[in-house]
Amino acid sequence: MVVLAASVINKSGKVLVSRQFMDMTRTRIEGLLAAFPKLVGTGKQHTYVETDMVRYVYQPIEALYLLLVTTKQSNILEDLETLRLLSKLVPEYAFSLDEDGICRTAFELIFAFDEVISLGHKENVTVAQVKQYCEMESHEEKLHKLVMQSKINETKDVMKRKASEIDKSKIDRSRGEKGGFGPIQSMGSGRIESAFSDMSISSSGSGFGSGSGLGVTTDFDSFSTKAKGRPPSSATAPPKGLGMQLGKSQRTNQFLESLKAEGEVILEDVQPKVGQSKSVAPPLTDPVTLNVEEKLNVTLKRDGGVSNFDVQGTLSLQILNQEDGHIQVQIETGGNPGILFKTHPNMNKELFSNENILGLKDPNRPFPTGQAGDAAGVGLLKWRMQSQDESLVPLQINCWPSVSGNETYVNIEYDASPMFDLRNVVISVPLPALREAPNVKDIHGEWRYDARNSILEWSILLIDNSNRSGSMEFVVPPADSSVFFPISVRFSATSTFSDLKVVNILPLKGGAPPKFAQRTQLLTENYQVV
Amino acid sequence: MEKSCTLLVHFDKGTPALANEIKEALEGNDVEAKIEALKKAIMLLLNGDTIPQLFITIIRYVLPSEDHTVQKLLLLYLEIIDKTDSKGKVLPEMILICQNLRNNLQSPNEYIRGVTLRFLCRLNESEIIEPLIPSILANLEHRHPFVRRNAVSAIMYVYKLPQGEQLLVDAPEIIDRFLASEQDPSSKRNAFLMLFNCAQDRAVSYLFTHIDRIIDWGEQLQMVVLELIRKVCRVNKGEKGKYIKIIISLLNAQSSAVVYECANTLVSLSSAPTAIRAAANTYCQLLLSQSDNNVKLIVLDRINELKTSHREILVELVMDVLRALSSPNLDIRRKTLDIVLDLITPGNIDEVVMMLKKEVVKTQSGELEKNGEYRQMLVQAIYSCAVKFPEVASTVVHPLMDFLGDTNVASAMDVAIFVREIIETNPRLRVSIITRLLDTFYQIRTSRVCTYALWIMGEYCLSLSEVESGIATIKQCLGELPFYTASEESEAQDVSKNSKVVNSATVSSRRPVILADGTYATQSAALETAMSAPVLVQGSLASVGNLRSLILSGDFFLESVVACTLTKLVLRLEEVQPSKVEVNKATTQSLLIMVSMLQLGQSSVLPHPIDNDSQDRIVLCIRLLCNKGEEVKRIWLQSCRESFVKMLEDKKHREIEESRAMAQISNAQPDDLIDFYHLKSRKGMSQLELEDEVQDDLKRATGEFVKDGDDKNKLNRILQLTGFSDPVYAEAYVTVNHYDIVLDVTVINRTKETLQNLCLELATMGDLKLVERPQNYTLAPESTKQIKANIKVSSTETGVIFGNIVYETSSNVLERTVIVLNDIHIDIMDYISPSSCADVQFRTMWAEFEWENKVAVSTVIKDEKEFLNHIVKATNMKCLTPPSAMEGECGVLAANLYAKSVFGEDALVNVSVEKQADGKLSGYIRIRSKTQGIALSLGDKITLKQKGGP
Repeated sequence: MVVLAASVINKSGKVLVSRQFMDMTRTRIEGLLAAFPKLVGTGKQHTYVETDMVRYVYQPIEALYLLLVTTKQSNILEDLETLRLLSKLVPEYAFSLDEDGICRTAFELIFAFDEVISLGHKENVTVAQVKQYCEMESHEEKLHKLVMQSKINETKDVMKRKASEIDKSKIDRSRGEKGGFGPIQSMGSGRIESAFSDMSISSSGSGFGSGSGLGVTTDFDSFSTKAKGRPPSSATAPPKGLGMQLGKSQRTNQFLESLKAEGEVILEDVQPKVGQSKSVAPPLTDPVTLNVEEKLNVTLKRDGGVSNFDVQGTLSLQILNQEDGHIQVQIETGGNPGILFKTHPNMNKELFSNENILGLKDPNRPFPTGQAGDAAGVGLLKWRMQSQDESLVPLQINCWPSVSGNETYVNIEYDASPMFDLRNVVISVPLPALREAPNVKDIHGEWRYDARNSILEWSILLIDNSNRSGSMEFVVPPADSSVFFPISVRFSATSTFSDLKVVNILPLKGGAPPKFAQRTQLLTENYQVV
Repeated sequence: MEKSCTLLVHFDKGTPALANEIKEALEGNDVEAKIEALKKAIMLLLNGDTIPQLFITIIRYVLPSEDHTVQKLLLLYLEIIDKTDSKGKVLPEMILICQNLRNNLQSPNEYIRGVTLRFLCRLNESEIIEPLIPSILANLEHRHPFVRRNAVSAIMYVYKLPQGEQLLVDAPEIIDRFLASEQDPSSKRNAFLMLFNCAQDRAVSYLFTHIDRIIDWGEQLQMVVLELIRKVCRVNKGEKGKYIKIIISLLNAQSSAVVYECANTLVSLSSAPTAIRAAANTYCQLLLSQSDNNVKLIVLDRINELKTSHREILVELVMDVLRALSSPNLDIRRKTLDIVLDLITPGNIDEVVMMLKKEVVKTQSGELEKNGEYRQMLVQAIYSCAVKFPEVASTVVHPLMDFLGDTNVASAMDVAIFVREIIETNPRLRVSIITRLLDTFYQIRTSRVCTYALWIMGEYCLSLSEVESGIATIKQCLGELPFYTASEESEAQDVSKNSKVVNSATVSSRRPVILADGTYATQSAALETAMSAPVLVQGSLASVGNLRSLILSGDFFLESVVACTLTKLVLRLEEVQPSKVEVNKATTQSLLIMVSMLQLGQSSVLPHPIDNDSQDRIVLCIRLLCNKGEEVKRIWLQSCRESFVKMLEDKKHREIEESRAMAQISNAQPDDLIDFYHLKSRKGMSQLELEDEVQDDLKRATGEFVKDGDDKNKLNRILQLTGFSDPVYAEAYVTVNHYDIVLDVTVINRTKETLQNLCLELATMGDLKLVERPQNYTLAPESTKQIKANIKVSSTETGVIFGNIVYETSSNVLERTVIVLNDIHIDIMDYISPSSCADVQFRTMWAEFEWENKVAVSTVIKDEKEFLNHIVKATNMKCLTPPSAMEGECGVLAANLYAKSVFGEDALVNVSVEKQADGKLSGYIRIRSKTQGIALSLGDKITLKQKGGP
């Protein structure tokens, strides 16, 4: 079962190509191959020769021999199969079937041999597979390269802009204006220079360099926020764009514009920021805060119907001060029968099922306290709801692409259920790759085109009783209807499916109940029309 | 230890690539140029031209390239480059490639990952592999099976490295888990192989947990399973039972390769009749179902092996084996017949002979070109059956006699010889054979068969009626007398012209004829031409007898045989025929025939006049018939037959001797293990030990198998290369392996100075080639150095290696000193080994081979046989001529010697010597071979050695 070598030799024993699959010395293999033509008899109707030590299985190819050197115990049936495959491969790869042609493509042949026999064992492959393996066309690699390339381009652009910006600010500084900004700027420029030197390496071609280029950009962002001295938690306050905008000039604006045109998400002074549905809680001021949050996972089918509808809710408690820890929480549920509640293992289950009061099993232990800004809090209760009922879906999306002539008209309409008032609704429709933004007509709300990701974002700030349904239409060059899916939707709402409310807080150690704040929100986690 | 070689590419020295050009192209940006340059660099490296500065260029400019072909070539380059220094430590610069390999292992391109992993399998340096291990392991989870399967084999090879177990402590466990979840058959196979090699118990337990599904596994996995079973059973004989079931189930596998392997495994594991029977059955099925000749032949080999150890089981299957005769390939048929003939028992002889007869009949109908040869094989087979079991002769001899008239001379000859022997050994068949022979005699077309038939008639026509019809038959076949008339003479002129053309054509193509004992003989041309042409049959003569047409074509030897036969018949008639008148009548008729033949021989109708031998013989016959005496009668009617009987006995005797000799060989050696029959299964044991040979098989094939024990021989071969007073003393011992010569040169610095750049430069003459370039060494004062040089040999020929040692002394750097070495002669005798071949084969080769070297005998040896022995000893050849043929003192000796070289070349030698009146030997030794080298070298050798003497 062991192939020692696969070779192509001429009739006089000159080795043209040989690939060995077992350890053997050069003199040995050359000797074996040189001896072969003398062993081949003429007029035989079989194509193997045995010596004391090895077996040759061969096949004449015009004036040459293709042969396998195997051990004598080797399985002849398998070896013949291998030989047959190789004999099909040789004409595929050889330039021509003579000495010259074989020599010219010797390495290609070696590569092909390698695919057929791996370390002496036959691989189960076909000619087509070997060709595929040798071509090495990898879809993943193409994708990877594409991503890399776009990242490199992007970073290069950033660099260019930054450089010119710095140049400009240097000129400004030389005019002696606003010396106070000096340190920051010098820091920034140093950063950029080092980034540039990185870039020059990465652009020289290794895949890794581009990776490091990417690192620089992210670095840069974080630097900019830090430079502003803003706490990262206060994200509700709109970040003032990227860094280095101190000497905010027209050029910067141009740069931002061009970045935007390239599809980068730029945080401008827009409020509320488009696409930021997750509004982060304002800073906590009350000693006790209760968060009711529900997350929606919905998958709708494009031609109607729900393929997945899943609501996951949590009630979490946050207590600012240690002394407020000894409390119980009384809640009230909307009585939705589809919802199953689960308490934290430390909770007193009986108390909850009987009186809807959430308290610890051990009444002497306080609830853990958390720092302000620690968004998580302590989870008290979890619930989950699953349904196939279409009427429960808060927002139905209808997308109708229709080809007409040289264009595709896409009509999208939404239909919100009266249960909720939805805020910050963003409907993202993937588009085919376009040279320019699509032609949008008849829109309720606003739209934005993300060229880099080829996504059209339709945003509606608020959907309430005044606009329970709405529509938009846009025109793109002809495209298959499937490219417009999956459509993903983000929104938030202040009421929940469970309708869970905290009624009261009961202090266990007496005294007045501490003041508490309650926040309720419904968020989309994954809301798609496929 | 010479390093192993993983690839060979033909390198055309005509267009040498310059290191500079390569370097330039590598540094450039053109991918195509880079690829070409890299290819050239690899070829240079393969050719022993390690351009060390190229490595750094490659690291700098080729490593970062993203082109796939460049990367693959780079891996090849790294594969063959020396990664260690002279002490076996990894070169520091090799660490540079680690990063690249790691990148490759994480490349988004799955094929790059795959080929890199495959490259790692060929890497032996754990220092390079160590940093890559996490990446290798990560690739086990890659989406693409191509990557996974290579990752598994990489892990296997890493684990197998000397320090592998430390590098990858939990490899077996990882692979075990991997195997459980893997779907791709090839990855599965590799994973199983890894467990098999590294953690056998895991492999076994995996096998048993999946025992029901083995039959559904992929072909390759099944093969490894079988391999595993063989290995496990060898170590752990007790567990054999568990596995037999698996093998039996795999016998039903889809793939014939697996089935074949199963049968092999069964044979190696068990000697139980059931198992062997199953295996043999499988072989027989494969024999029938596979259409490929190679497979059939190898399966027949396997059956042959089985035959030696389990004859009784194969006897049952003899008819199945015989079915392989349906293949049109002669080699297969021959092998099949050989096997079957060994398996004949009284129980199956009838069936076998029946089948063979059927096959013979079939050859008559079909018009395949090889039919004649096949028929000959069959006839020989039947013949040997009949020799073994004389009772079948009666059933076969008659159908076979139909072939006496066959146009295929060889098979007709075989039939004739067969009949001749049967008629002597089976007296009961005599009457029927003679009757038949007389009936069919007219069909015989070839003169040689005719002579045999005539001889049989002459010897075995005993009764009155037989003798009479014998004479009548001959007369009939000769036709009307005389053979020609004067009036025809002019007419015959045309004929003779005609025949001249034919004869001259055949004569020119004729080769010298060698008799069985190797002497040259001048045979009458007619003998051969007759076979090729009954051309002369013309007009009225055509309807007449075969004998007449043959004789008219000038076959005088046949004439003499006819004359002898007639003489014998007449002599016998005299004994059995009471009527004197009839006897006289027959005598005169015979005399007339003989005289006519003589007349014909002397006439101008035939192109050649009769040769003296034939004429003498015919004249002798005439004389005898005219003057019959008792003494003559006895000689003619009894002695001939007696000598024939003696010949048959001698033949039988020789066969018995041979078989006895064979039997002796297979006996146990004195130092063999003694198996206690009652303690363990004797046969099973020896089979398991056979398995060791399977393991050795690979080693033998890769040339690792070193035969030791000829240390004594080694010391005999020490050659002094320089003088004792030279500044550098050198001696070498020469080891001649199969295809290469290793020179182990010991160099000693005899001076008080350091010798720099000492270099052993060798050059060769003949078909020898240096493998490596010489290296430079520095030799401290009075120190020694061992230098090894490999020289490749590609044909059998005497070669000379010469060379010199060049060095610089530290005091005088610029001046190089040269010491010329003694020549090393490589002896042809190292390459040839005695071998034997059939007489017929020898003669065909003798006729075919183009190179002849003729050496006149000149020796001091006085005795022919002594001289022959001397030559045999000196040339290391085997004497094919049996000793019995050289018995007696007649002053003449002719013998054939034969040997084969390791390259499969044949060397033929014929010795013909004659003792002169002055007691000296004279004659010639002729050497023939296909290549000039052997003929010349062997001739030189003989010239050198033949002098002999005490």
